[in-house]
Parts: sequence; C-alpha cells; structure tokens
Amino acid sequence: MPLLEVENLTKRFGGLIAVSNVCFHVNEGEIIGIIGPNGAGKTTLFNLITGYLKPDSGKVKLRGEDITGLPPNKIANKGLVRTFQIVRPFRHLPTIANILVALQSYRGKKRIEWIKTPERKAMEMLEDVGLTEMMLEPAENLSHGDLKRLEMARAMALEPDLILLDEPFGGLSLVETDYMVKSIQRMHLDGHTIVIVEHKLYALMRLVKKVIVMHMGEKIAEGTPEEIARNDKVVEVYLGKAI
Amino acid sequence: MPINTFAKYFRKVYTNFATHIYDVPPRMLAFLILIIFTIVPYAGIEPRRLDILTSANLMAILAVSWDLLVGRTGLISLGHALFYGVGAYSSAILFKYFQWPIWVTIPLSLIAGVGMALIIGTPCLRMKGPYLALVTMAFPIAIVGFLYYFRDIFGGEVGIQRLPRVFTIPPFSLNERYVANYYLSLVLLALSSIIIYKIATSKTGIVFVSILDDELGSKACGINVTKYKLMSFAISGLFGSLAGSLYAHMLGGSATPRYFYDNTALIPIENSIVPIIVTILGGIGTIYGPIIGTYIYFLLNRYVFENLIQIDPHIQLLVFISIVVLLVVKWPRGIARTIVEKLEDLEEPREIEEIEKEKTKKVEKG
Repeated sequence: MPLLEVENLTKRFGGLIAVSNVCFHVNEGEIIGIIGPNGAGKTTLFNLITGYLKPDSGKVKLRGEDITGLPPNKIANKGLVRTFQIVRPFRHLPTIANILVALQSYRGKKRIEWIKTPERKAMEMLEDVGLTEMMLEPAENLSHGDLKRLEMARAMALEPDLILLDEPFGGLSLVETDYMVKSIQRMHLDGHTIVIVEHKLYALMRLVKKVIVMHMGEKIAEGTPEEIARNDKVVEVYLGKAI
Repeated sequence: MPINTFAKYFRKVYTNFATHIYDVPPRMLAFLILIIFTIVPYAGIEPRRLDILTSANLMAILAVSWDLLVGRTGLISLGHALFYGVGAYSSAILFKYFQWPIWVTIPLSLIAGVGMALIIGTPCLRMKGPYLALVTMAFPIAIVGFLYYFRDIFGGEVGIQRLPRVFTIPPFSLNERYVANYYLSLVLLALSSIIIYKIATSKTGIVFVSILDDELGSKACGINVTKYKLMSFAISGLFGSLAGSLYAHMLGGSATPRYFYDNTALIPIENSIVPIIVTILGGIGTIYGPIIGTYIYFLLNRYVFENLIQIDPHIQLLVFISIVVLLVVKWPRGIARTIVEKLEDLEEPREIEEIEKEKTKKVEKG
C-alpha cells in the first residue's frame, strides 16, 4: 500500500482552478520532487494535502486512511508534517523552545523515548541541523538560512512518516543550499519519505528519484529526472513553444 | 521519617533561595519590594487607608491574569472586568442568600469564573485579533444589562451591599481587620503571580507564546491550538474571578470608603481598561510588569492626585492616561521590563570555566 495517495484533488478559487484533478502516490522511503512554473498550484497542493485548505473534490489518503479535510494539527499528529515556503518561526521564543513546542504536541510527546527529557531530545534535533550554538538565542535573531534549518528541525522533531518540504532552498546561498541538500540526503538515507516542492532545479534534480511536473493546476508529467528533462511538454512549459 | 524528609526539602529550598537571591538582581528586587510591602501597615499609615493598598493588590491579580491572556497568548480581551464581576457577584450571592462560609464561596466563584471563560471562549476564540477584542468588550456590557434587569437578586446599580468582611471573628478589632485583609491580599497576590509566572515559563507557557507568534506554525507542529487558547482563557478567568471574589469579601462591607464605587457592581468599563493600561505601563508579557504598573496607578490616583495635587476625580483617568502615554513613549517596552533588563546587565558574566566546574560537580553528585 502506498504511504500517501492523492486522488483527483481539485480546488477552485472563484473562477480560477488552482489545482485540478491531480493524482499521484508516494511509496514508503521514496523521495519525490514537485516542480512547475510560478502559480502552477504546487503550494496549494501542499495546503490541500496538509489540511490548511479544504479541497472541493478528491481524496487524500495516508496509509489507506482518509484524511481529507481534517484540521492541520490532526494531520501532523498522524505523521504527515510540512514546512513552509516563508519561514514561520516563533520569534519570541529561544531556538530550543521552538522545538519544545513540537515536542509538546500529542505525537511529539509520544515519540520521546522514556529515558530522555524533551530538552535533551530538542538539543539533539538542533545538533542534527548544526544550531547548537544558537540554542538560547531568540529565534528573531537568527539568519534566514538558520531559520530554514530550524523549521526543518522542528518538523523532524515530530518524527514524521512523510515530510513535505515547501521550497527548502528558497533564499539560501550556494553554500547553505549545499548544506541543506546534504541534510535532506541524510534524512532520506535514514529512511524518511520526503516530498519537495522547489524552483532551484539544479539542487532538486541531484536529490530526487521521481519528479512530478505541474502547470496551471494540472499534472503534466511524471518520471525520473532524465525523462522529465527530455519531455517536450515540460520544456515547452518552462521555455516556451518553438516557432 | 516524614519530618526528616520535610527537613531535607526545607533545607534544599532554603539553600536554593539563599544561593540565588543574591546573584540574581531582579529576584533580590522582588524580595526587597515584598519586605517593604510587609512593613507598610506599621509605617504610620492609617489602617483605614490600607484598603487602598488591598484593592491595589486585587487589581494587580486581575492585571497579571490579563497579561497571561494577552501578553503571552495574544488573545486580546478588552472586557476582563467580566471575570472580576463574575467572581464578585457569585461570591456575594452565595454569601448573602445562603450564608455559606468563605472557604466555600471563594472556590465556587472560581468555578463560576472558569465556567464563564469556557462558555464565552468556546465560540469566541474562533475569532481573531480585533474581532475577538470587540466581542470580549461586548460581553461585560451585556451582562451589566442582565444584572440591572434582575435587580431584586443582584441589587441593580448599587450591587450587593453590606457583606461582612472576611475577618469578622471576635479576636480581630476593626483596625486589625484592615491589616489582616491587607496581608491576605498581599499573600494571595504573591501566590497567584508566582503560579501564573510558573505557568507562563512552563512548557504549556511556551506553547502559549507560540500561538502568539504564529498560529499556523504551531498548528503545523501538531498543536491543538483551540485547546491551548481555551486553557489560557480559563486560567485567566480563574485568577480574574479570584480577584473579584476577594474584592467582594474584603472591600464589599458596610465600611466602604467613598473612593470605591458601587460595592459589587464591578463591571464598569473602567475595570476593563485599568488592567490594560497598567500592563502596558509595566511591560506587556512580563507577568511582573502589571504588578509594578498597578502600584504606580494607585500611587498616582489615590495618593498624588488626592493629597498632593487636587485633581477632580472625573479627569483623574485622563491625566493618568496622558502620563502613561508619555512614559510609554520613553520606555516602549514597559517600565518594569526596562528596569529588570538594566539589572540583568549589571550582573557580571561568569567565566565559562566556573560554569563548567559547577556542571561537573552536579554530574558527580547526580
């Protein structure tokens, strides 16, 4: 059984069809990229899957269980966790407390081994992304790259079955992008299932085994990075029609 | 054995206290302030005038509970007098019509306060920002109408009068009663602000701040935001109604001085506004800020404006608000917060080696 199944998902904003009849599935241990030009409906698709928006029709299933229309916190507690395109840190809280918030949720509490305190686990999560030195600094003093990593650590604190990364390389420098690619690769090797939405194709294509291309709310292609690069329709969408 | 364990516990608490009170300036300041307020009744103040300080203590409890709700959770409430009123009226009614003793009426009025918070919070906390603020402001006004309609029970504009005070037991003389009231209110203020501070700095408190900072973000962390909002509202209602209930029992007696308006008619808009002003003055989100702010408010309104400069009661609030605006322009983060941050800067940073030594000691012990 696939981990995540998306069936005929559709969302309209007034007359605009943001996402139309999108179907795909994600198997356990896979790493998938979703690409497409601006306004293709990638983030809307994420919002539909994680419960921030309610779809007009279609179904989202996690391990065969229907999770369509559940509130975001319930979906997160079921093991489907996301990060945001624009970082959403808790600015007044110290970096370590940002992660303690996630550990205070139902799933977070359950996933702490009995021998550990939440603080210990939060410190380990920070170590994984290299933010140990910033532990007690309020999150508002962190740089954008650090915030991206903090958000990733916060999502990982819930020990998700499936993690959806919304533009994890957005606004990062080359060095930071490299670091992020490596940490995502490490997550993948640890057996996490990952779905990435991204614009920076050169970083993404190195990472993923399967790519889904969206355009005007529709899924227009699916395949390995090599297949996608040769696909005429995808080239047309990105570069325009040959005259 | 139990005595032994108690002695051990006491010793631990004492050594903790003794080692920390001197190296953390803000704590020392709090300790000094507490000592000053303990001595106050014997500093030549007319016992009758102590009622002003008692009501300041109660207002401080209300302001601290407002600060937890607004400064720490970001749920703006403009009608906190509602909880003050619910506490006072439920206590007063139980006392007057059933003659129940205070250790029954006070807990019951706390339950009433929490109940009211849950009843109002369940539908209203779906609203956000200014809309929530407007709705919370509407409720006390509506309740006042309700109280006036059933004036046989609630006493209409005058409220429920002639409640016996808390300390009416024979050994207390009239003057001693004022002193006893004052000490009780001081102890309860200290207790409730410590409890609220502990809640605000606990893991639950961290979740409250995460809701203030970014609601969507905390939802993404799997936090049931509605539950935590209701929890914050209920805790705030609990302490708000504690303040109200104490007001009814301590100051609602027949010897009410002229500067307390209607005995238990505690829902006028002024009681909603004062917690807000004093919290902003002291430092919003600090928990200790509102206490300092309340004392400044009472010092100006009840002492300076009445004894030193004669100002008509009608424009007292206006003058006070003008002063607050000037102070807030100077210290936008609040007076108390500015002072405490300055004091924390005074504390000399310790050498890293010293801290490491302490840590290894702890590890060896544990």
